[in-house]
Formats: sequence, structure tokens, C-alpha cells
Amino acid sequence: MGGFLDYIQGTSFLHRLNPLTKLLIAFLLCVACFICDRHLFVLGIIVLNLLLAGVAGKEVLLRSLNMLRALVKFSAFLFVIQILFVREGTALLHLPFGLVITDRGLSFSLLFVLRLFAATMPIGLMLSVTRMSDLSNVLVEKVGIPYQYTFALTTTLRFIPLFSQEMAGIMEAQTARGVEFDTKNFFKKIRLLMPLCVPLLISSVKKIDGAAVSTELRGFHLRNRNSGYKKYCLKGADAAALAMMACIMTCAVIL
Amino acid sequence: MLKFNNVCFSYQQDTLIHDVSFHIQEGEFAALIGENGAGKSTISKLCNGLLKPKTGDVLIQGQNTKTTKSSMLARSVGYLFQNPDRQICQNTIRGEIMFGLSYILKDQALCEKRCDRIIEQFQFRGEQDPFHLSRGERQRVALASILVCEPKLLILDEPTTGLDYRECVQIMELVRELHRAGTTIMMITHDMELVQDYADRVLVLNEGRLIGDGACEEVMTDMALLRRASVLPAQIPMLAMELGTTFHGVYSVNDMAERIHELQQRRA
Repeated sequence: MGGFLDYIQGTSFLHRLNPLTKLLIAFLLCVACFICDRHLFVLGIIVLNLLLAGVAGKEVLLRSLNMLRALVKFSAFLFVIQILFVREGTALLHLPFGLVITDRGLSFSLLFVLRLFAATMPIGLMLSVTRMSDLSNVLVEKVGIPYQYTFALTTTLRFIPLFSQEMAGIMEAQTARGVEFDTKNFFKKIRLLMPLCVPLLISSVKKIDGAAVSTELRGFHLRNRNSGYKKYCLKGADAAALAMMACIMTCAVIL
Repeated sequence: MLKFNNVCFSYQQDTLIHDVSFHIQEGEFAALIGENGAGKSTISKLCNGLLKPKTGDVLIQGQNTKTTKSSMLARSVGYLFQNPDRQICQNTIRGEIMFGLSYILKDQALCEKRCDRIIEQFQFRGEQDPFHLSRGERQRVALASILVCEPKLLILDEPTTGLDYRECVQIMELVRELHRAGTTIMMITHDMELVQDYADRVLVLNEGRLIGDGACEEVMTDMALLRRASVLPAQIPMLAMELGTTFHGVYSVNDMAERIHELQQRRA
């Protein structure tokens, strides 16, 4: 059972790209969907993400679809909030308590939700096809970021699924003693979650402390730009991928 | 008390539990043994409804876990996790003991009464911060916060992991007292000495299948069965088996001492 940010093994075109290229593509795709205000363009980026996930393999595609599914509830909540609070434009529907749905509100909320999908997916996709160690090494070697900072970044990403598992374990332990986490009432669940921040915080601090001691003992402070043995050269495929990305960015600016 | 009827459980595509059936009677002390990944923790979570079976039924005092909420089942099933830190979330021992109880009992006065009784029984200082205690003490706090709910069935998931000998004995003696008072116990452990010392009945799991179920003495001397489950028996039964037929049936230190004494007398 892998975490949603874990690397998925593979030899696809995406897997073989330079980690820096993948990072740039993910970043530029996010930027593109915020530059362009057209719904179709942002929808196109979501489709492109799914196509890329398909290229990377069945497992990566499944994870991307699962990520989309997980975002649906949250997006629906944001959509409702946005649509009810944007009051500019022509009124389409009048609701009780003086609430009104306008054409601009509808368009803005839709774009907002599409952007949320389009901006989240490339990061997940990039992390699914890139090893954390490669990402960290390439940032040190090619970008010149000190190892301490890249290590902090990759450790944060690595710890997210661990904390989520820990939280699931804590919730299980509390349910077993009668706390109603199996309730369907969302607000009640949120209220019950508050006291659980204590065990989560304690276990997180313990884990991070353990990791810090362990890395120090293995010469963490000695690492620098020349410590890595692996070289990350840019190849033809990287150039092609970046050229495609340049086209998408141009489209985003023009449209 | 606890009945598994042809239970299968799978996670995504992997089937973890295959057609497991057993019935634990009221007042029994059963141990669940097997190698890592055999499905022991999955079985224990099926016992209190944290996991629901894919097929088959788990019945606790006749209540089907598929149709009853886990938080409701917590009224009759206590579950002591391996890691007490997942459970402890309050700043004082009293608060911790009251936390779970307040979800089960709505009568504040009765809650206070039960809490006072358990604090006295465990000799805790109620206002002490549980996070400042040793691992073994935190495990005792976790156990106290479960026992205050007076469960009929207590599930212990590797309760002595990470504890020193004294802490281990403290916890297990408490469990023994509970068992004597009539609580049904199901304990998951890798420690065969504990199984031999405390359990009446042993269930053996291997790759999600129940491959053995019998009285402790019977299972602990069945080397073929234990080998299949990648489990080594406790030291004394193993020594008795190594020494041959003269020591047949020797199961505990007392048995061994008696048999040696008998042999000495015969020779004299």
C-alpha cells in the first residue's frame, strides 16, 4: 500500500526524463493554468495531465484518477462557496436568504475548480515518476540549492504520507475506545479531530527527531554539490518536452 | 462471546484473511500467534469492527460488526494497541481515563466514580501528565482508560512490545486479574513465554489462514504446526522435546523441576 506521493517504478518516457525537466514541466503547467482565463484551455491541461499519466503507466494513471476523485468533494465545497459569494454579473437564479447565482459567479467558480484540478495534478504526476533522491540531487547539482534545503523539501514530501498513516492509526485507536469517528456528520468529525492533534504532534516530533539524529550520524553536514555520484545530463527527449511546454505557455499567454 | 463465521477480508486486490472460523467462549483467554504478515492484526481489527469482513460475519455477543458502528462496539470490546501514544491525547491521567469513558457513559457522576476507582486501583496520580511517564507506564494508562469502560472482551495487540521485564509482568498480571474476574481476553503476541504462561487456548495463523486452534499445551508441543507458522515454542517445552520421552508432557518450569526430582528419587 503506497502513499499518494510515493514513486511508482517504471521505464516510460516520463520516467526517463531528467528530474529537472519534470519539475519544470509541472511548475509551468501550474503557471499556464493561472495565466489563461479560458475554461477550455484549463480543461485541456487536465486532459493533457491524464494523457501524460497514461504514458507513464497504468498505475500512474490510476493514481491520477484517484487524486481527481479525492479532489471532487473539496472542489464541490469550494464551488458552492464561490458561486454563492460572487454577486457580479447577470442573475441566473435567486435563492432564499438573498443569495443569488450569477453568470459571472458560475463562470468564475467553474474556472476556480478547474484550476484547482489542473494545478494539483502535475505535482502529483511529477512525484509519481521521480525518485525523491533524484529530485533532491538534481536541485543541488543543476540549480545549486544547498543540500540542507533540498533535503528539507524531500523530507517534507516523504513525511506527508507517513503522517497521514499515523493520523489514520490514531483515529482507529480513538474509535476503538468509543470516539465516534465513524459518524457521517462532517462537523462532528472535525470537532472530534481537535484533541487528536496532540498525539499526532508528539509522534511527528519524535519521528523528525529520530530522522535528524540518523542523518547527522551519516555525515549530513559533510554533503555538498560534488557529493553525488550520479550525473543528470539533459538529453534530446528533455529538449523536446521543454519545447512542447514552451508551446503550451505561448498558447496560455496568447489566449 | 466472539464468533468468526467463514470470514474473508481483502484490501484492494490482496486477500489477507481466507475463510477464518472460530468461536471464543465467554471467560476464555485466547492467544493469536503467527509470523509477521500472517494477518493477526487484521483479525484483531475485525474483532472490534474497525475492519468489516468482505464475506462471512463477525459476531460479538450476537451483534454483527457489519451492521454495528465500531464506536458502539467499543462499549463491549476494549482494544489495547501496541503503541499507547496513538491513544493518549489528554494532559492528565484523569483526563485520559475520562476521555473514552465520557463517550460511552453519559452520567457524569458515574464516570467520576469509575475514574476514581481505576486511578486508585492502578495507583496513578490523576493530575500527572501521561506524556511524562515511561513507555510501560503509558501502556498502563492506556490499559486503565480501556478498563474503566468495563469491556466484556479485551483485545491486546502485542501489549508488551518495548516493555522491560518488570513492566511486562505488571501489565500481564493486571490482565490475569481481569481474566479471573471473568473478562474474555484475546492476545496477539510473538512472545511464546507469555502465551504459555497466560493463555488457555491458542489460535495459529499462517498467510491469513487459521492452521491451528487448540489448548495451549496441545499447540505448544505440536512442532510441525509451529514450524508451519514460523514460530518457535517456549524454552521449557522445547527443552522437554529435545530431552526425549522421559520428559514427555513437561510444559512449565514447575513440571520440569518435578520431573527431575522424580528421576532423582528413582535413581536414589
